[in-house]
Amino acid sequence: MRGRPKAGLTTENGAAPAGRRVHIVQGAYEVTRDPQVVLTTLLGSCVAACVHDPVAEIGGMNHFLLPDAEGAGDSADVRYGVHSMELLINGILQLGGRRERLRVWLFGGAKLFDRLVDIGAKNAAFAEQFVRREELIPMGGSLGGLKARRIQFWPVAGRPRQLLLKQAEPGLTAPPVLDSRPPRVQPGSAVELF
Amino acid sequence: MPAAKNISVIVADDQASMRSLIRNSLEQIGFADIREARDGEECLKGVIARPANLVISDFNMPNLDGIGLLRAIRMHPPTSKIAFIMLTGRADIELLKQAKEYGVNNYVVKPFTVAGLRERIEAVFGRLS
Repeated sequence: MRGRPKAGLTTENGAAPAGRRVHIVQGAYEVTRDPQVVLTTLLGSCVAACVHDPVAEIGGMNHFLLPDAEGAGDSADVRYGVHSMELLINGILQLGGRRERLRVWLFGGAKLFDRLVDIGAKNAAFAEQFVRREELIPMGGSLGGLKARRIQFWPVAGRPRQLLLKQAEPGLTAPPVLDSRPPRVQPGSAVELF
Repeated sequence: MPAAKNISVIVADDQASMRSLIRNSLEQIGFADIREARDGEECLKGVIARPANLVISDFNMPNLDGIGLLRAIRMHPPTSKIAFIMLTGRADIELLKQAKEYGVNNYVVKPFTVAGLRERIEAVFGRLS
């Protein structure tokens, strides 16, 4: 993710159509209190954070990639991840969320290609460290592995679902094919699989 | 040419990760006297207890936001001359107009680079050694 996010949408007002899906592309985020909204994204080595305040019934999702993840790595790449997380969290706080109540699921960070540097692992490590450092409530999720993921998140209910894809995500390689094998989910995670 | 190591800074941001990034960037520029505050209120107490030469503050913070902090610093004679750089998530014209009205010295749009931060600080203090 270089430069500013493509969208920082907040669907605060107005009823959405039933089950309205909002797709989060790389570099974007969405925060909402609309119970009809389902946030979706497609992840390879990128990471998405699904954040939820159960009391205020507000939630959101982002989708980011540390832009310099193939390099030697210093704070230059981390700042984009920090910025992406800050935009998401601030969006929730602005709708009435409270930082100490924020629960976070992390997804993505797969290793899709044979490279010396595991970009996905670096993204995943950053995301986990961020959650620890900011003292957010970790709810698990699913990080790492070799497969792309399709994620759905009901931000008001705080309910994530994951589908592991057999092949890398579209835009990276071929269209996704359903994988019949059970995905690996972090212990204790309240992730629903589909 | 002022030496960065002689300029005392206090960084106000409610995110520990962002404070750490700013501290790291300032250290790369050459700053040594760096304090941190978790919100505007803590920062205000900090500069009243021991004045700083520069405040770098986020806009969105609990208790006292960046604009509130700027106003309070400018209204308190012992701190009114402290240089103030505002961090914003986006170049919000209305916010910047408001900040300018209260005497902000410069602003930095996130995500920033070390070179970009240095440039904004040097615009206030002159070229740093």
